[in-house]
Amino acid sequence: MILQKLLAKSPKLETRLELLELATGLMLFGFLQFHMFAVSSIILGVDAFNRDSARMDEYYLSYIGIPLIILALIVHGLVALRKAPWKIQEMRVFVQHSRRLAHLDTWAWGVQILTALIILVLAATHIWSVLVTWPIEAATSAARIQGGYFSNFVLLIVAAEIHAMVGLYRILVKWSWIHRKKFTNYLVYATIGMVGLGFLTLLVFYFRSIPKGLS
Amino acid sequence: MADRLLTFSIFRYNPITPEIPPRMQEYQLEETMGMSLFIALNRLREELDPSLMFDFVCRAAICGSCAMLINGRPGLACKTLTQDMPDRITVMPLPVFKLVGDLSVDTGVWFRHLNVRTEAWIHTDKVFNPEAIEERMDNPTAQAIYDAERCIECGCCIGACATANMRADFMGAAFLNRIARFMIDPRDERPMAQYFDVVGTDEGVFGCIGLMACDDLCPMEIPLQGQLAFVRRKMAQMALKCARCK
Ligand code: HEM
Ligand code: FES
Repeated sequence: MILQKLLAKSPKLETRLELLELATGLMLFGFLQFHMFAVSSIILGVDAFNRDSARMDEYYLSYIGIPLIILALIVHGLVALRKAPWKIQEMRVFVQHSRRLAHLDTWAWGVQILTALIILVLAATHIWSVLVTWPIEAATSAARIQGGYFSNFVLLIVAAEIHAMVGLYRILVKWSWIHRKKFTNYLVYATIGMVGLGFLTLLVFYFRSIPKGLS
Repeated sequence: MADRLLTFSIFRYNPITPEIPPRMQEYQLEETMGMSLFIALNRLREELDPSLMFDFVCRAAICGSCAMLINGRPGLACKTLTQDMPDRITVMPLPVFKLVGDLSVDTGVWFRHLNVRTEAWIHTDKVFNPEAIEERMDNPTAQAIYDAERCIECGCCIGACATANMRADFMGAAFLNRIARFMIDPRDERPMAQYFDVVGTDEGVFGCIGLMACDDLCPMEIPLQGQLAFVRRKMAQMALKCARCK
Protein backbone atom coordinates (compact mmCIF):
# COMPACT_ATOMS: atom_id res chain seq x y z
CA MET A 1 0.00 0.00 0.00
CA ILE A 2 1.17 3.48 -0.80
CA LEU A 3 0.16 6.70 0.92
CA GLN A 4 -1.76 8.49 -1.81
CA LYS A 5 -3.77 5.36 -2.64
CA LEU A 6 -4.47 4.62 1.00
CA LEU A 7 -5.94 8.09 1.42
CA ALA A 8 -7.71 8.39 -1.94
CA LYS A 9 -9.39 5.04 -2.31
CA SER A 10 -13.01 4.87 -1.27
CA PRO A 11 -14.84 1.59 -1.80
CA LYS A 12 -18.11 3.28 -0.91
CA LEU A 13 -17.76 5.95 -3.58
CA GLU A 14 -16.47 3.55 -6.21
CA THR A 15 -19.30 1.11 -5.56
CA ARG A 16 -21.89 3.87 -5.69
CA LEU A 17 -20.53 5.04 -9.03
CA GLU A 18 -20.99 1.52 -10.35
CA LEU A 19 -24.58 1.53 -9.06
CA LEU A 20 -25.09 4.89 -10.77
CA GLU A 21 -23.84 3.36 -14.02
CA LEU A 22 -26.31 0.52 -13.51
CA ALA A 23 -29.23 2.86 -12.73
CA THR A 24 -28.61 5.32 -15.57
CA GLY A 25 -27.97 2.46 -18.00
CA LEU A 26 -31.28 0.81 -17.15
CA MET A 27 -33.09 4.13 -17.21
CA LEU A 28 -31.72 5.03 -20.65
CA PHE A 29 -32.53 1.55 -21.89
CA GLY A 30 -36.13 1.96 -20.78
CA PHE A 31 -36.32 5.42 -22.27
CA LEU A 32 -34.87 4.38 -25.63
CA GLN A 33 -37.43 1.64 -26.14
CA PHE A 34 -40.28 3.85 -24.92
CA HIS A 35 -39.13 6.60 -27.30
CA MET A 36 -38.94 4.14 -30.20
CA PHE A 37 -42.52 2.96 -29.63
CA ALA A 38 -43.72 6.53 -29.14
CA VAL A 39 -42.36 7.87 -32.44
CA SER A 40 -43.47 4.73 -34.27
CA SER A 41 -47.05 5.93 -33.77
CA ILE A 42 -46.48 7.77 -37.06
CA ILE A 43 -47.02 4.40 -38.70
CA LEU A 44 -50.64 4.62 -37.50
CA GLY A 45 -50.95 8.12 -38.93
CA VAL A 46 -50.21 11.78 -38.40
CA ASP A 47 -53.07 12.20 -35.97
CA ALA A 48 -51.89 9.41 -33.70
CA PHE A 49 -48.41 10.90 -33.62
CA ASN A 50 -49.57 14.43 -32.88
CA ARG A 51 -52.01 13.20 -30.25
CA ASP A 52 -49.25 11.33 -28.40
CA SER A 53 -46.97 14.31 -28.54
CA ALA A 54 -49.65 16.73 -27.36
CA ARG A 55 -50.63 14.44 -24.52
CA MET A 56 -47.07 14.18 -23.22
CA ASP A 57 -46.92 17.95 -23.40
CA GLU A 58 -50.21 18.34 -21.62
CA TYR A 59 -49.24 16.20 -18.64
CA TYR A 60 -45.81 17.85 -18.44
CA LEU A 61 -44.18 14.50 -19.21
CA SER A 62 -41.94 16.16 -21.78
CA TYR A 63 -40.86 18.94 -19.42
CA ILE A 64 -39.87 16.54 -16.67
CA GLY A 65 -38.73 13.69 -18.88
CA ILE A 66 -36.46 15.50 -21.31
CA PRO A 67 -34.25 17.29 -18.75
CA LEU A 68 -34.09 14.06 -16.76
CA ILE A 69 -32.95 12.07 -19.78
CA ILE A 70 -30.36 14.67 -20.76
CA LEU A 71 -29.02 14.56 -17.21
CA ALA A 72 -29.01 10.76 -17.25
CA LEU A 73 -27.09 10.77 -20.55
CA ILE A 74 -24.43 13.09 -19.18
CA VAL A 75 -24.07 11.21 -15.89
CA HIS A 76 -24.09 7.83 -17.65
CA GLY A 77 -21.46 8.96 -20.16
CA LEU A 78 -19.21 10.26 -17.39
CA VAL A 79 -19.41 7.23 -15.12
CA ALA A 80 -19.37 4.61 -17.89
CA LEU A 81 -16.47 6.12 -19.81
CA ARG A 82 -14.22 5.72 -16.77
CA LYS A 83 -13.83 2.12 -17.97
CA ALA A 84 -12.93 3.06 -21.56
CA PRO A 85 -9.42 2.45 -22.93
CA TRP A 86 -8.33 6.10 -22.96
CA LYS A 87 -4.62 5.56 -23.45
CA ILE A 88 -3.36 4.58 -26.86
CA GLN A 89 -1.52 1.63 -25.31
CA GLU A 90 -4.67 0.40 -23.58
CA MET A 91 -6.54 0.68 -26.85
CA ARG A 92 -3.90 -1.32 -28.73
CA VAL A 93 -3.77 -3.90 -25.95
CA PHE A 94 -7.55 -4.28 -26.15
CA VAL A 95 -7.63 -4.68 -29.93
CA GLN A 96 -4.71 -7.13 -30.05
CA HIS A 97 -6.16 -9.10 -27.14
CA SER A 98 -9.59 -9.31 -28.80
CA ARG A 99 -8.10 -10.46 -32.11
CA ARG A 100 -6.07 -13.20 -30.45
CA LEU A 101 -8.94 -14.36 -28.29
CA ALA A 102 -11.65 -14.27 -31.00
CA HIS A 103 -14.26 -14.10 -28.23
CA LEU A 104 -17.62 -12.52 -29.05
CA ASP A 105 -18.33 -10.94 -25.66
CA THR A 106 -14.92 -9.31 -25.64
CA TRP A 107 -15.42 -7.79 -29.11
CA ALA A 108 -18.90 -6.64 -28.08
CA TRP A 109 -17.37 -4.35 -25.46
CA GLY A 110 -15.27 -2.66 -28.15
CA VAL A 111 -18.50 -2.17 -30.12
CA GLN A 112 -20.04 -0.64 -27.02
CA ILE A 113 -17.27 1.93 -26.69
CA LEU A 114 -17.51 2.76 -30.40
CA THR A 115 -21.30 3.10 -30.39
CA ALA A 116 -21.07 5.23 -27.22
CA LEU A 117 -19.02 7.80 -29.12
CA ILE A 118 -21.43 7.74 -32.07
CA ILE A 119 -24.39 8.25 -29.72
CA LEU A 120 -22.58 11.05 -27.91
CA VAL A 121 -22.35 13.12 -31.10
CA LEU A 122 -25.56 12.13 -32.87
CA ALA A 123 -27.84 12.19 -29.82
CA ALA A 124 -26.57 15.68 -28.99
CA THR A 125 -27.43 17.02 -32.45
CA HIS A 126 -30.72 15.12 -32.39
CA ILE A 127 -31.83 16.57 -29.05
CA TRP A 128 -30.70 20.03 -30.10
CA SER A 129 -32.60 19.98 -33.39
CA VAL A 130 -35.77 18.79 -31.66
CA LEU A 131 -35.61 21.43 -28.94
CA VAL A 132 -35.11 24.38 -31.32
CA THR A 133 -38.19 23.39 -33.34
CA TRP A 134 -40.37 22.73 -30.28
CA PRO A 135 -43.14 21.46 -30.06
CA ILE A 136 -42.85 17.97 -31.48
CA GLU A 137 -45.19 17.58 -34.45
CA ALA A 138 -45.33 15.13 -37.31
CA ALA A 139 -44.75 17.88 -39.86
CA THR A 140 -41.58 19.26 -38.27
CA SER A 141 -40.20 15.76 -37.73
CA ALA A 142 -40.90 14.84 -41.35
CA ALA A 143 -39.29 18.06 -42.54
CA ARG A 144 -36.22 17.27 -40.48
CA ILE A 145 -35.89 13.74 -41.82
CA GLN A 146 -36.46 14.78 -45.41
CA GLY A 147 -34.17 17.76 -44.97
CA GLY A 148 -30.93 15.83 -44.60
CA TYR A 149 -31.12 14.11 -41.22
CA PHE A 150 -32.09 10.73 -42.68
CA SER A 151 -28.62 9.14 -42.63
CA ASN A 152 -27.95 10.54 -39.14
CA PHE A 153 -31.02 8.74 -37.90
CA VAL A 154 -30.10 5.46 -39.58
CA LEU A 155 -26.76 5.51 -37.81
CA LEU A 156 -28.21 6.70 -34.49
CA ILE A 157 -30.92 4.04 -34.42
CA VAL A 158 -28.43 1.24 -35.11
CA ALA A 159 -25.81 2.56 -32.70
CA ALA A 160 -28.25 3.28 -29.87
CA GLU A 161 -30.07 -0.05 -30.09
CA ILE A 162 -26.88 -2.09 -30.26
CA HIS A 163 -25.30 -0.13 -27.42
CA ALA A 164 -28.41 -0.47 -25.29
CA MET A 165 -28.90 -4.20 -25.91
CA VAL A 166 -25.26 -5.08 -25.36
CA GLY A 167 -25.38 -2.88 -22.27
CA LEU A 168 -28.43 -4.69 -20.93
CA TYR A 169 -26.78 -8.03 -21.63
CA ARG A 170 -23.70 -6.90 -19.75
CA ILE A 171 -25.70 -5.78 -16.75
CA LEU A 172 -27.60 -9.07 -16.61
CA VAL A 173 -24.34 -11.00 -16.87
CA LYS A 174 -22.41 -8.94 -14.33
CA TRP A 175 -25.13 -9.23 -11.71
CA SER A 176 -25.87 -12.79 -12.83
CA TRP A 177 -29.57 -12.24 -13.28
CA ILE A 178 -29.76 -14.54 -16.30
CA HIS A 179 -28.41 -17.70 -17.80
CA ARG A 180 -25.95 -16.22 -20.27
CA LYS A 181 -26.05 -18.59 -23.22
CA LYS A 182 -29.84 -18.85 -23.36
CA PHE A 183 -30.53 -15.16 -23.13
CA THR A 184 -28.23 -13.98 -25.93
CA ASN A 185 -30.67 -15.06 -28.66
CA TYR A 186 -33.59 -13.13 -27.19
CA LEU A 187 -31.52 -9.98 -27.10
CA VAL A 188 -30.45 -10.42 -30.72
CA TYR A 189 -34.10 -10.81 -31.78
CA ALA A 190 -35.09 -7.78 -29.70
CA THR A 191 -32.34 -5.70 -31.30
CA ILE A 192 -33.39 -6.69 -34.80
CA GLY A 193 -37.02 -5.97 -33.92
CA MET A 194 -36.35 -2.52 -32.49
CA VAL A 195 -34.00 -1.49 -35.31
CA GLY A 196 -36.65 -2.70 -37.78
CA LEU A 197 -39.30 -0.63 -36.05
CA GLY A 198 -36.98 2.38 -36.12
CA PHE A 199 -36.32 2.00 -39.84
CA LEU A 200 -40.00 1.60 -40.61
CA THR A 201 -40.77 4.78 -38.67
CA LEU A 202 -38.00 6.57 -40.49
CA LEU A 203 -39.30 5.48 -43.91
CA VAL A 204 -42.85 6.55 -43.09
CA PHE A 205 -41.53 9.99 -42.16
CA TYR A 206 -39.37 10.12 -45.26
CA PHE A 207 -42.24 9.50 -47.68
CA ARG A 208 -44.81 11.61 -45.84
CA SER A 209 -45.86 14.70 -47.68
CA ILE A 210 -45.23 17.84 -45.70
CA PRO A 211 -47.76 20.69 -45.55
CA LYS A 212 -46.57 23.82 -47.37
CA GLY A 213 -44.61 26.37 -45.43
CA LEU A 214 -42.57 23.82 -43.48
CA SER A 215 -40.27 22.35 -46.06
CA MET B 1 -5.95 -38.50 -37.69
CA ALA B 2 -2.55 -40.12 -37.79
CA ASP B 3 0.13 -39.12 -40.28
CA ARG B 4 -0.61 -35.47 -39.91
CA LEU B 5 2.31 -33.10 -40.12
CA LEU B 6 1.73 -30.37 -37.54
CA THR B 7 3.19 -26.90 -37.84
CA PHE B 8 3.86 -25.10 -34.58
CA SER B 9 4.36 -21.37 -34.63
CA ILE B 10 5.95 -20.53 -31.30
CA PHE B 11 6.63 -17.19 -29.65
CA ARG B 12 10.32 -16.66 -28.96
CA TYR B 13 11.82 -13.96 -26.79
CA ASN B 14 14.39 -13.95 -24.07
CA PRO B 15 14.51 -10.89 -21.79
CA ILE B 16 18.20 -11.62 -21.19
CA THR B 17 18.89 -10.87 -24.85
CA PRO B 18 16.65 -7.87 -25.55
CA GLU B 19 18.62 -7.10 -28.70
CA ILE B 20 16.88 -10.05 -30.37
CA PRO B 21 13.31 -8.81 -30.88
CA PRO B 22 10.25 -10.98 -30.12
CA ARG B 23 9.39 -13.26 -33.05
CA MET B 24 7.37 -16.30 -34.05
CA GLN B 25 9.42 -19.38 -34.94
CA GLU B 26 8.06 -22.35 -36.87
CA TYR B 27 8.65 -26.05 -36.20
CA GLN B 28 7.20 -29.14 -37.78
CA LEU B 29 6.40 -32.40 -36.12
CA GLU B 30 4.65 -35.67 -37.02
CA GLU B 31 1.51 -36.16 -34.95
CA THR B 32 1.33 -39.31 -32.83
CA MET B 33 -1.60 -41.08 -31.16
CA GLY B 34 -3.03 -39.17 -28.18
CA MET B 35 -0.46 -36.43 -28.50
CA SER B 36 -0.95 -33.49 -26.15
CA LEU B 37 0.66 -30.11 -26.55
CA PHE B 38 2.80 -31.07 -23.56
CA ILE B 39 4.21 -34.04 -25.47
CA ALA B 40 4.66 -32.00 -28.63
CA LEU B 41 6.62 -29.24 -26.89
CA ASN B 42 8.85 -31.73 -25.14
CA ARG B 43 9.62 -33.45 -28.42
CA LEU B 44 10.35 -30.13 -30.07
CA ARG B 45 12.80 -29.30 -27.32
CA GLU B 46 14.43 -32.72 -27.38
CA GLU B 47 14.64 -33.18 -31.12
CA LEU B 48 14.73 -29.72 -32.67
CA ASP B 49 15.56 -26.89 -30.32
CA PRO B 50 17.02 -27.34 -26.81
CA SER B 51 16.80 -23.58 -26.17
CA LEU B 52 12.97 -23.55 -26.09
CA MET B 53 11.63 -22.46 -22.67
CA PHE B 54 8.30 -23.58 -21.21
CA ASP B 55 6.93 -24.82 -17.87
CA PHE B 56 5.45 -28.13 -16.75
CA VAL B 57 5.23 -30.05 -13.52
CA CYS B 58 2.30 -32.44 -13.23
CA ARG B 59 1.25 -32.94 -16.90
CA ALA B 60 -2.22 -33.83 -15.54
CA ALA B 61 -4.06 -30.49 -15.18
CA ILE B 62 -3.36 -30.25 -11.47
CA CYS B 63 -0.43 -27.92 -10.92
CA GLY B 64 -1.43 -25.09 -13.26
CA SER B 65 2.06 -24.35 -14.54
CA CYS B 66 1.56 -25.07 -18.25
CA ALA B 67 -1.02 -22.37 -19.07
CA MET B 68 -0.31 -20.60 -22.37
CA LEU B 69 -2.08 -19.01 -25.32
CA ILE B 70 -2.99 -21.86 -27.65
CA ASN B 71 -4.24 -20.50 -30.95
CA GLY B 72 -4.80 -17.23 -29.12
CA ARG B 73 -6.76 -18.61 -26.19
CA PRO B 74 -5.52 -19.40 -22.70
CA GLY B 75 -5.45 -23.10 -21.93
CA LEU B 76 -3.41 -25.85 -20.31
CA ALA B 77 -0.89 -27.40 -22.71
CA CYS B 78 -1.03 -30.73 -20.89
CA LYS B 79 -4.82 -30.88 -21.24
CA THR B 80 -4.87 -29.88 -24.91
CA LEU B 81 -4.84 -32.74 -27.38
CA THR B 82 -3.45 -32.02 -30.84
CA GLN B 83 -6.22 -34.13 -32.37
CA ASP B 84 -8.64 -31.35 -31.41
CA MET B 85 -6.47 -28.73 -33.13
CA PRO B 86 -5.97 -27.68 -36.77
CA ASP B 87 -2.74 -28.51 -38.63
CA ARG B 88 -1.29 -25.17 -37.64
CA ILE B 89 -0.97 -24.34 -33.97
CA THR B 90 0.30 -21.03 -32.64
CA VAL B 91 1.58 -20.97 -29.10
CA MET B 92 2.32 -17.84 -27.08
CA PRO B 93 2.98 -17.21 -23.39
CA LEU B 94 0.18 -15.97 -21.11
CA PRO B 95 -0.11 -12.19 -21.07
CA VAL B 96 -0.28 -10.10 -17.85
CA PHE B 97 2.30 -12.25 -16.01
CA LYS B 98 6.01 -11.51 -16.03
CA LEU B 99 7.65 -13.08 -19.06
CA VAL B 100 10.51 -15.37 -18.09
CA GLY B 101 11.28 -16.32 -21.69
CA ASP B 102 9.55 -17.93 -24.68
CA LEU B 103 6.44 -19.67 -23.27
CA SER B 104 7.45 -19.45 -19.65
CA VAL B 105 5.84 -16.87 -17.37
CA ASP B 106 6.05 -16.24 -13.64
CA THR B 107 2.57 -16.77 -12.20
CA GLY B 108 4.01 -17.50 -8.76
CA VAL B 109 4.69 -13.93 -7.70
CA TRP B 110 1.26 -12.82 -8.88
CA PHE B 111 -0.54 -15.57 -6.96
CA ARG B 112 1.59 -15.06 -3.89
CA HIS B 113 0.49 -11.43 -3.95
CA LEU B 114 -3.12 -12.62 -4.32
CA ASN B 115 -2.86 -14.83 -1.28
CA VAL B 116 -1.35 -12.03 0.77
CA ARG B 117 -3.90 -9.42 -0.32
CA THR B 118 -6.89 -11.70 0.21
CA GLU B 119 -5.36 -13.03 3.44
CA ALA B 120 -6.23 -16.47 2.16
CA TRP B 121 -6.56 -18.22 5.46
CA ILE B 122 -9.38 -18.65 8.00
CA HIS B 123 -9.57 -15.70 10.39
CA THR B 124 -10.95 -16.81 13.72
CA ASP B 125 -10.53 -16.17 17.42
CA LYS B 126 -11.53 -19.70 18.32
CA VAL B 127 -8.67 -21.73 19.70
CA PHE B 128 -8.16 -24.98 17.86
CA ASN B 129 -8.66 -28.05 19.97
CA PRO B 130 -7.14 -31.13 18.29
CA GLU B 131 -9.00 -33.41 20.71
CA ALA B 132 -12.51 -32.16 19.92
CA ILE B 133 -14.76 -33.61 17.23
CA GLU B 134 -14.68 -31.48 14.11
CA GLU B 135 -17.59 -29.09 13.70
CA ARG B 136 -20.03 -30.07 11.02
CA MET B 137 -20.73 -27.99 7.94
CA ASP B 138 -23.86 -28.35 5.84
CA ASN B 139 -23.37 -29.98 2.49
CA PRO B 140 -24.32 -27.10 0.14
CA THR B 141 -21.83 -24.78 1.88
CA ALA B 142 -19.10 -27.38 1.72
CA GLN B 143 -19.85 -27.88 -1.98
CA ALA B 144 -19.75 -24.15 -2.69
CA ILE B 145 -16.40 -23.80 -0.93
CA TYR B 146 -15.07 -26.79 -2.77
CA ASP B 147 -16.18 -25.32 -6.10
CA ALA B 148 -14.07 -22.21 -5.49
CA GLU B 149 -11.20 -24.25 -4.07
CA ARG B 150 -10.78 -26.17 -7.31
CA CYS B 151 -8.78 -23.22 -8.69
CA ILE B 152 -5.31 -24.47 -9.66
CA GLU B 153 -3.87 -20.95 -10.02
CA CYS B 154 -2.95 -21.46 -13.67
CA GLY B 155 -3.75 -17.84 -14.58
CA CYS B 156 -5.92 -18.59 -17.64
CA CYS B 157 -8.73 -16.34 -16.35
CA ILE B 158 -6.26 -13.49 -15.92
CA GLY B 159 -4.73 -13.95 -19.37
CA ALA B 160 -8.22 -14.09 -20.88
CA CYS B 161 -9.43 -10.90 -19.19
CA ALA B 162 -9.36 -7.68 -21.23
CA THR B 163 -9.33 -5.50 -18.10
CA ALA B 164 -6.44 -7.43 -16.57
CA ASN B 165 -4.58 -7.02 -19.87
CA MET B 166 -5.18 -3.28 -19.97
CA ARG B 167 -4.77 -2.48 -16.27
CA ALA B 168 -2.02 -4.07 -14.25
CA ASP B 169 -3.69 -3.38 -10.89
CA PHE B 170 -6.96 -5.21 -11.68
CA MET B 171 -7.44 -8.23 -9.44
CA GLY B 172 -9.24 -10.52 -11.86
CA ALA B 173 -11.37 -13.64 -11.50
CA ALA B 174 -8.88 -15.83 -9.61
CA PHE B 175 -8.60 -13.15 -6.94
CA LEU B 176 -12.35 -12.54 -6.63
CA ASN B 177 -13.05 -16.26 -6.64
CA ARG B 178 -10.66 -16.65 -3.69
CA ILE B 179 -12.42 -13.84 -1.83
CA ALA B 180 -15.80 -15.48 -2.50
CA ARG B 181 -14.47 -18.71 -1.02
CA PHE B 182 -13.71 -17.07 2.32
CA MET B 183 -16.88 -14.97 2.30
CA ILE B 184 -19.04 -18.09 2.32
CA ASP B 185 -16.95 -20.00 4.84
CA PRO B 186 -18.82 -19.96 8.18
CA ARG B 187 -15.54 -20.55 10.04
CA ASP B 188 -14.11 -17.25 8.85
CA GLU B 189 -15.12 -14.47 11.24
CA ARG B 190 -13.97 -11.54 9.11
CA PRO B 191 -16.62 -8.78 8.95
CA MET B 192 -17.91 -7.98 5.46
CA ALA B 193 -16.48 -4.46 5.81
CA GLN B 194 -13.00 -5.94 5.69
CA TYR B 195 -13.67 -7.59 2.32
CA PHE B 196 -15.31 -4.41 1.12
CA ASP B 197 -12.11 -2.51 1.76
CA VAL B 198 -10.13 -4.93 -0.42
CA VAL B 199 -12.46 -5.65 -3.36
CA GLY B 200 -15.22 -3.01 -3.33
CA THR B 201 -13.16 -0.88 -5.70
CA ASP B 202 -12.38 -0.34 -9.37
CA GLU B 203 -9.26 -2.48 -8.93
CA GLY B 204 -11.51 -5.08 -7.36
CA VAL B 205 -14.87 -6.39 -8.47
CA PHE B 206 -15.99 -3.17 -10.16
CA GLY B 207 -13.10 -3.28 -12.58
CA CYS B 208 -14.91 -6.28 -14.09
CA ILE B 209 -16.82 -5.23 -17.20
CA GLY B 210 -18.52 -8.59 -17.61
CA LEU B 211 -16.78 -9.98 -20.70
CA MET B 212 -16.80 -13.48 -19.20
CA ALA B 213 -13.79 -14.80 -21.10
CA CYS B 214 -12.65 -16.07 -17.67
CA ASP B 215 -15.86 -18.05 -17.30
CA ASP B 216 -15.63 -19.42 -20.84
CA LEU B 217 -11.96 -20.43 -20.66
CA CYS B 218 -11.32 -21.63 -17.09
CA PRO B 219 -9.75 -25.10 -17.55
CA MET B 220 -11.31 -26.25 -14.28
CA GLU B 221 -14.71 -24.93 -15.36
CA ILE B 222 -15.23 -23.03 -12.14
CA PRO B 223 -18.54 -21.09 -12.43
CA LEU B 224 -16.81 -17.72 -12.41
CA GLN B 225 -19.80 -15.69 -13.60
CA GLY B 226 -21.64 -16.68 -10.44
CA GLN B 227 -18.62 -16.17 -8.22
CA LEU B 228 -18.02 -12.65 -9.54
CA ALA B 229 -21.71 -11.74 -9.26
CA PHE B 230 -21.80 -13.05 -5.68
CA VAL B 231 -18.95 -10.74 -4.65
CA ARG B 232 -20.47 -7.86 -6.65
CA ARG B 233 -23.83 -8.13 -4.89
CA LYS B 234 -22.31 -8.36 -1.44
CA MET B 235 -20.20 -5.27 -2.14
CA ALA B 236 -23.23 -3.35 -3.45
CA GLN B 237 -25.10 -4.18 -0.23
CA MET B 238 -22.19 -2.88 1.80
CA ALA B 239 -22.11 0.42 -0.11
CA LEU B 240 -25.79 0.94 0.59
CA LYS B 241 -25.91 0.00 4.25
CA CYS B 242 -22.47 0.23 5.82
CA ALA B 243 -22.36 3.47 7.76
CA ARG B 244 -18.79 3.14 8.98
CA CYS B 245 -17.20 2.24 5.65
CA LYS B 246 -15.03 4.74 3.87
C1 HEM C 1 -29.31 5.71 -25.93
C2 HEM C 1 -28.56 6.00 -24.95
C3 HEM C 1 -27.80 5.01 -24.10
C4 HEM C 1 -28.23 3.84 -23.55
C5 HEM C 1 -29.62 3.22 -23.65
C6 HEM C 1 -27.11 3.27 -22.85
C7 HEM C 1 -27.16 2.07 -22.14
C8 HEM C 1 -26.08 1.46 -21.56
C9 HEM C 1 -26.13 0.30 -20.71
C10 HEM C 1 -27.40 -0.43 -20.32
C11 HEM C 1 -24.85 0.01 -20.35
C12 HEM C 1 -24.37 -1.11 -19.41
C13 HEM C 1 -24.09 -0.47 -18.08
C14 HEM C 1 -23.37 -1.37 -17.12
O1 HEM C 1 -22.64 -2.27 -17.55
O2 HEM C 1 -23.50 -1.15 -15.90
C15 HEM C 1 -23.98 0.94 -20.99
C16 HEM C 1 -22.60 0.93 -20.90
C17 HEM C 1 -21.79 1.91 -21.42
N1 HEM C 1 -22.21 3.11 -21.94
FE1 HEM C 1 -24.12 3.58 -22.46
N2 HEM C 1 -26.02 4.07 -22.97
C18 HEM C 1 -26.39 5.15 -23.74
C19 HEM C 1 -25.60 6.23 -24.09
C20 HEM C 1 -24.24 6.31 -23.84
C21 HEM C 1 -23.41 7.46 -24.13
C22 HEM C 1 -23.88 8.77 -24.76
C23 HEM C 1 -22.14 7.13 -23.73
C24 HEM C 1 -20.86 7.90 -23.74
C25 HEM C 1 -20.57 8.92 -24.39
C26 HEM C 1 -22.17 5.79 -23.21
C27 HEM C 1 -21.08 5.11 -22.78
C28 HEM C 1 -21.09 3.84 -22.28
C29 HEM C 1 -19.91 3.05 -21.99
C30 HEM C 1 -18.47 3.49 -22.21
C31 HEM C 1 -20.36 1.84 -21.46
C32 HEM C 1 -19.49 0.66 -21.02
C33 HEM C 1 -19.18 0.79 -19.59
C34 HEM C 1 -18.72 -0.49 -18.94
O3 HEM C 1 -18.30 -1.41 -19.63
O4 HEM C 1 -18.78 -0.58 -17.70
N3 HEM C 1 -23.46 5.33 -23.27
N4 HEM C 1 -24.76 1.84 -21.70
S1 FES D 1 1.60 -29.43 -16.24
FE1 FES D 1 0.47 -29.19 -14.42
S2 FES D 1 -1.35 -28.31 -15.18
FE2 FES D 1 -0.31 -28.76 -17.00
